[in-house]
Amino acid sequence: MSYRATVDKDVCLSSGRCVADAPGAFVFDATEIAEAVPGHPGLSDAALVQVARACPSGAIVVVDDEGVEIELL
Amino acid sequence: MSTVVLTTFADAKDAYRCRDLRQSLYDEGEVVMADVLVNLHGEEHRDRRRVENRLFRRDTFELYERDLFPDVTAATVAPYVAAGHADLVPMGHELMLNLAALTAGVDRPEGSAEETKRLYAYLMRFIEGATLAHSTRDKDAQRAVIAQALRDWDAEFLAPSIARRQALGPEGAPRDVLACLLAHQDELGLEHEALRREVAFFLLAAAHTSATAFVRSIDHVLGWTDAHPADVERVAADPFFVQRCVHETVRLNPSSPTGRRRALAPVRLRSGVEIPAGATVVIDLLAVNRDPAVFGPDAAAFDPHRDAPQGVAPFGLSFAAGMHVCIGQDLAAGVVPRPDTLAEGHLFGLVTGAVQHMFRCGVRRDPHDAPERDANTARPYWGRYPVLLGGRR
Repeated sequence: MSYRATVDKDVCLSSGRCVADAPGAFVFDATEIAEAVPGHPGLSDAALVQVARACPSGAIVVVDDEGVEIELL
Repeated sequence: MSTVVLTTFADAKDAYRCRDLRQSLYDEGEVVMADVLVNLHGEEHRDRRRVENRLFRRDTFELYERDLFPDVTAATVAPYVAAGHADLVPMGHELMLNLAALTAGVDRPEGSAEETKRLYAYLMRFIEGATLAHSTRDKDAQRAVIAQALRDWDAEFLAPSIARRQALGPEGAPRDVLACLLAHQDELGLEHEALRREVAFFLLAAAHTSATAFVRSIDHVLGWTDAHPADVERVAADPFFVQRCVHETVRLNPSSPTGRRRALAPVRLRSGVEIPAGATVVIDLLAVNRDPAVFGPDAAAFDPHRDAPQGVAPFGLSFAAGMHVCIGQDLAAGVVPRPDTLAEGHLFGLVTGAVQHMFRCGVRRDPHDAPERDANTARPYWGRYPVLLGGRR
């Protein structure tokens, strides 16, 4: 099982929490909105879920390898 | 109009993340709170928050916590230690005002005690404005006084602070809210009155919420160490333990005892709770943060050794959640440590730093002068909290 993350750029508040907690797995784009780096290097599935749960705006969506969204609430 | 009261952790978290529920906690406090960050909704909120979040990030917090706050804390507390006593309520507000002024971007060019006293008086007026809903006094009379205080504060403090930052330019200006707003003024298009309220809001929010958490944390730690003498030494030596005490205090005593939202459309929470359009939603944070389903059967007790379940913050929902989660959460309470977190490089939060400093200064209750609650508000604030300082407990 390998989870994937995406950031809903319309929802992101640019808090930078994901970038601080998981540098390399999340970065800012040119407008300082977060985006996930494909493959989220060095981050376990559990850690990825933890980062997504900590996102203040709920902008991070995590899916499993079958594309099923992981429950974050 | 109907009111729906939420008392479970799950419902509260669900509600905070619902985009059809808009902020309404400060409806009566518009004299200070109109169109400030926490009162905005939707795109307007997102756009303002994105700008301000460029300041409220980990690197800024590290600058504040490591380089700026320790000296200010020591300098503020030193005269009280020399005197051997203090009332924690005004002293806590003075300390947090000094820290909040740095964060908000309110200069004190004279650097005199008199100047700080005047800023303190303005701060107390702004706090009255923000918490007007809970006031037990004549609210119309208070509104008029608070509106005048805002104008006077602008003339004495805000206008010179703006002028200094404009003279320094974006590269030379300090890292604070005012400089951030000025640097992005083209993007935000804030009128002067809105800028005034926004900076006043950051000043009062940072100072007041931290000051109340500061006094309550010391009260809880004093009570805990009386009953658990084995933890006395940990308070002075272990910042992780103090941070746990602060988080537990904030869980049991959220800055506002309730969150409040207004439904812009019908909402059905995951639990099945129905909220009709137009209804007021009251999030009972005192109940939510004592939810035994989340924090266990002793949820109402203060226990700094408590471990919150995975995915739940140790301070519960005191900083809210979702898009309106407190922008200063990490600044005030620090980052929640993981089991392998090392002290070096960890953010403990300004309240932890201030509380631990007080215990290193020997803070203890005055056996001849008991603390009293504030009778001027329905909020559970301490009105006075006399302590002795100096020496060891």
